Order: sequence, then structure tokens, then C-alpha cells
Amino acid sequence: MNETLDLFAAWLRGTSISEVIRVSTWLWPVCEILHFFGLSLLIGVAGFFDLRLLGFMRRVPISAAWTLMPWAKAGFALAALTGVTFFVGAPEQYINNPAFYLKVLFLIVANLNAVYFEAIYRRQVEAKALDAAGPSAVKVIAVVSIVSWLFVIYWGRMLPFIGNAF
Amino acid sequence: MMELLASLENSGFGIWLRESPSMWAYPAVLTLHTLGLGVLVGGNAVLDLRLLGWGRAIPLAPLEKLFPVMWIGFWVNAISGVVLFVGDATTKGTTWVFMTKLAIIVVGVVLLRALRRTVYGRGQDAVVETPTSRVLAAASLALWFLAIVTGRYMAYV
Repeated sequence: MNETLDLFAAWLRGTSISEVIRVSTWLWPVCEILHFFGLSLLIGVAGFFDLRLLGFMRRVPISAAWTLMPWAKAGFALAALTGVTFFVGAPEQYINNPAFYLKVLFLIVANLNAVYFEAIYRRQVEAKALDAAGPSAVKVIAVVSIVSWLFVIYWGRMLPFIGNAF
Repeated sequence: MMELLASLENSGFGIWLRESPSMWAYPAVLTLHTLGLGVLVGGNAVLDLRLLGWGRAIPLAPLEKLFPVMWIGFWVNAISGVVLFVGDATTKGTTWVFMTKLAIIVVGVVLLRALRRTVYGRGQDAVVETPTSRVLAAASLALWFLAIVTGRYMAYV
């Protein structure tokens, strides 16, 4: 398994797009800036919605807080796109790094949680059926969201300190 | 000045922060700095987006509760930032990038206080949206983005 991963990393590193990312002096830092800004948008908007689900800022209808959610998704897209850029540019820094796999694990948990919320509750939210007080199940979803995004940041920050990155 | 920076950097604490292999040293402080950034810039972005015209169905009055959240993010970062500075004082204390970042943060805090005064200064029953509040929201969003730009740039000096 490790050998396959190493072969994959070596192949990816050999592609011309990977070289472009590595050779450029400005692309990596610009992606870092956008990665952090995307992270902020995501944490801010999704965190705001989660706090509302948990009962803070009760005078904000849940359906109204929901209308900002495209900004959380835009933040995620920005962070994901720049994150993939890092991976393509230097795959060997991630492919054997335990922090990378833990970050991906929490990314999967956070995204499945968000998809589950949309699948089950989106209609009720948009029909303003949850505006007063949502069912307690949405509070569990809000907590899972906050905790899993925090761990995504934690393991992302650990990338250079655990394993071989940077 | 240089002596002061060097003595900070070479203090027991400065050395521990830099050289300890413990996850509770540099990695933990850096993680806190990232979390604080997300809370401050993210909380600020929610208010700015609303003032700039997105999510109009959200009543403005309860959003004043975002300010304590932003200040928590700010103080987490002020404290973790001082700690990170001690570990690398001679480099950070002498680069224009760091001075620029500090200046941006000072302006950002002034703008944030002005924003609160403009929108919430007349009390919860008289929350107002004005052209000024929109300008302040746009400026605030831009300033905290520039704080991230200069912060990331410090890794390259």
C-alpha cells in the first residue's frame, strides 16, 4: 500500500502542473493566503449557523441565517481548491504524513454531516418550519460541525510538525 | 532595541518555544493563532456580508452578539501572537512586514469599534444601516484580509 502511494506521489510530482506549482515563487504563498481566507469564511458563516442552531442569537430566524450558507460553501471551495494545489505541488509532503490523513478524515466527517443536514432539514429550514426552535437532533449536528471543523484546522496546522511536511 | 529583542528571543521561554519538540510548544500556539484568526475574521465576515447586502432577512440587532465572539478571537490572537513574537523577536521585530501587519491590525480594530458605534451606538431598538456602515463593512473585510496577507508573508521573511 505504502509503495503504491509512493509511486503515485512520485508520478504526480513528475507532472508538469506539479512543477509549475513548485517553480513559481508567488503561487504557493498566494494559495496560502486564499486557503486561510477561505477557512475564515467557512468557520465564520458555518459557525454562525451552528451557533444559531444551538440557540444563540434566537432573534435570527434559522431560515435567514441559512441564506448566508453559500458563502460558507464558497469559503470551502476556495480552501479545497488551494489545498489540492498544495497536494499536487508537493505530494510527498502529504502522502506519508499521518496529520494529512487525520485532516482528511475530519474533512469527510464535516462534509458528510453538512450533506446529511441539507438532505434531512433543508426543506424545513427553507419553509421556515425550524425558525422558532429546531428539534434537538439539529443541535447534535451543529456540535459535530463545530468540533469536526476545529479538528480539520488542528490537523492542518499539525502538517508541518508531524510526519515529514515542509 | 536589538538587545532587547535578542534577550527576548534567547530567554528560557523563547528557547523552549522554538526548540521544544513538545506539541504544547510552538505547534499549539500556532494552532491557537489559526483558530483565533478564523473566529475573528469569520465572525467579522458574517457581519460585513450582512451590512453589504447579503442575507437581508437576518435582523441586524441580534448580530451585535458577534462582537464578543470577535473579541475572543482577537485576544486569543493577541496573546498567542505575543508568544510567537518572543520566540522569533530579532527577525519579526526588525521587518517591515511585521510592522505593516501590526498597523493593519490597529486600523482593523479602530474600524471594528467605529462599525459597532455606527450601527449599534443608538441602542438595540435603534439599529441603523447607513452608507457609512457599508463603507466601514467593506473596509473592515479588506483590512482583516490584509492582516492574513501580511501574516502569511511573515513566513517568507
